[in-house]
Amino acid sequence: MIKENKLIKDFYELKVNQLMDKRVWDLPLIEENEDIHHVLSILGARNHIWVIKNKNNKELVGVITEHDVLTILAPKHFPSYVFGMPDIRSIQHGTANSAGDVMAKKIIMCDPDEKIIDALMRMVKFKLRRLPVVKDKIIVGELTLHQLIRKYYSATQYHPILEDEEG
Amino acid sequence: MIYTEEFFNILILIAVALIFARVLGFLFHKLKQPAVIGEIIAGIFLGGLGVFVFSGRNFTILSYSISTINLNDLLQSQEFYLLAQIGILFLLFISGLETSFSSLKKTEKASLYVAIGGVILPLFFGLLSGLLFNFSLAESIVIGLILIATSVGVTVRTLMDLNVLNTDVGSTILGGAVFDDIMGIVLLAFAMGIGSLIDAVWIGLKIGIFFLVFLYIGIKVIDKVLLLGEKLILPKAFLSLTLAIFLLYSFFAYEVGIAGIIGAFVAGIIIGQNARSKDISEDVKVIGYGFFIPIFFVYVGSSIWNNENIEISSLSNVFLFIFLVIFLGIIGKIIGCGIGARLSGMTNRESLQIGVGMIPRMELALIIVTAAISHKIFTGQVVQTILLTTIILTIVTSLISPLLIKATFKNN
Repeated sequence: MIKENKLIKDFYELKVNQLMDKRVWDLPLIEENEDIHHVLSILGARNHIWVIKNKNNKELVGVITEHDVLTILAPKHFPSYVFGMPDIRSIQHGTANSAGDVMAKKIIMCDPDEKIIDALMRMVKFKLRRLPVVKDKIIVGELTLHQLIRKYYSATQYHPILEDEEG
Repeated sequence: MIYTEEFFNILILIAVALIFARVLGFLFHKLKQPAVIGEIIAGIFLGGLGVFVFSGRNFTILSYSISTINLNDLLQSQEFYLLAQIGILFLLFISGLETSFSSLKKTEKASLYVAIGGVILPLFFGLLSGLLFNFSLAESIVIGLILIATSVGVTVRTLMDLNVLNTDVGSTILGGAVFDDIMGIVLLAFAMGIGSLIDAVWIGLKIGIFFLVFLYIGIKVIDKVLLLGEKLILPKAFLSLTLAIFLLYSFFAYEVGIAGIIGAFVAGIIIGQNARSKDISEDVKVIGYGFFIPIFFVYVGSSIWNNENIEISSLSNVFLFIFLVIFLGIIGKIIGCGIGARLSGMTNRESLQIGVGMIPRMELALIIVTAAISHKIFTGQVVQTILLTTIILTIVTSLISPLLIKATFKNN
């Protein structure tokens, strides 16, 4: 029991860049102005997409999750009791045409030098299962709950926690 | 007042107002009309009950004596008025939260032209009709302001039904409505503070400084302030802090001599930039849509029964005035916004479609008239005339716009 506590403490103290997925080439990335159908094709296989300004510099500008697509895929029900600017994005009405139209622009991210405990707390606070790792606005990797569970579990089974660091 | 009979009467009034508002709102929603109209009619109905049934008189049936509460006194009580005023602040705060400037970029120029055209002409027409019917200059300016702000809800639903939301016309109308809302709010603050030309310059400066300073400071520091809220591990502490910021902004706006509603709107814009704005917006809507905003609409509806009765002899004059204001309100938007759209490079037909799409007026018109009455710009019998005009304007423009929009899109 005591050993277990020490393990989780050590786990918390690790840096994001030690556990994150650094294979940027393998991340679900899409350019802001790409067609909505491309978004749908990626989300058919993945749970989320990171939206970048362009493929050369990979500046992160947004994120699209399955839930974002649900709101544009389902028939638009526009309430009669709404004030301010309404959200009119919909595939049915042709008002969601590109990745930029659908993405959430306010991204919750983490820094590669942050501790894992901080990233975990952020996931809890914002109810997220994944965070992009961003340095100088450029996406350099991602940290998913799935990865963290896998790494921690393998550590409990006496495997070195940083064993497959490079993926 | 706590635990007095008056306190419990207010509680009953709030309960009845909410039930009536929601039931009539739902009926109008079922009739594919804005629910707000139902809520205003709920207020008119309750106010009418106050005049004709629950007016505080005593009835004697057989040997039983029945005393009724004075419903109209309760509807116009300070307590109910306070809730309605908070409802206005919530409306403006939510409007600010939902304003997305980045989505305006696509049609920024056209929307701005349309908004400017749709502000200048209706403002002028309103001013003119006020002066024509012997209203004072300040009253006439407010009549003009009532005609400024477009309520885009009705138009968006109609454009959606016609499958033309994703056109330049659709985007321009949406953008134009956002711009004319902002112009309407700023001009209202301006109108309420003006006494002379020096006042006008001073108020203009104050509005400019307030927008720049509070918007800038807010955007720079709001995340840090809200972080404090996150550290308070208590249920909905973050929401409490958000509400405190929005109310403080309203207070500061009032303190520097401009309308509190500007503060609420600016606070909404700032908090809308926060990463958690979606969650905040949902929580604020629960409080606003669920409680304060329906009370505001019921209050507005019930207010037409307030004060002195309109003299029968002046009724024809009142109806003539209402007709003129509504007619000019409609024509003003069609021509004003149409010219704006044409100048931005749209075709004649598109310009007409935009002009017609900008006709509906609703929440901001009601806010402007309520604020002007609170500031005693309208007093006495004029209050009822102007309230009736605004309410009929909102109902008529909401009902006829879908028909006109559909007509202009025929054979498109």
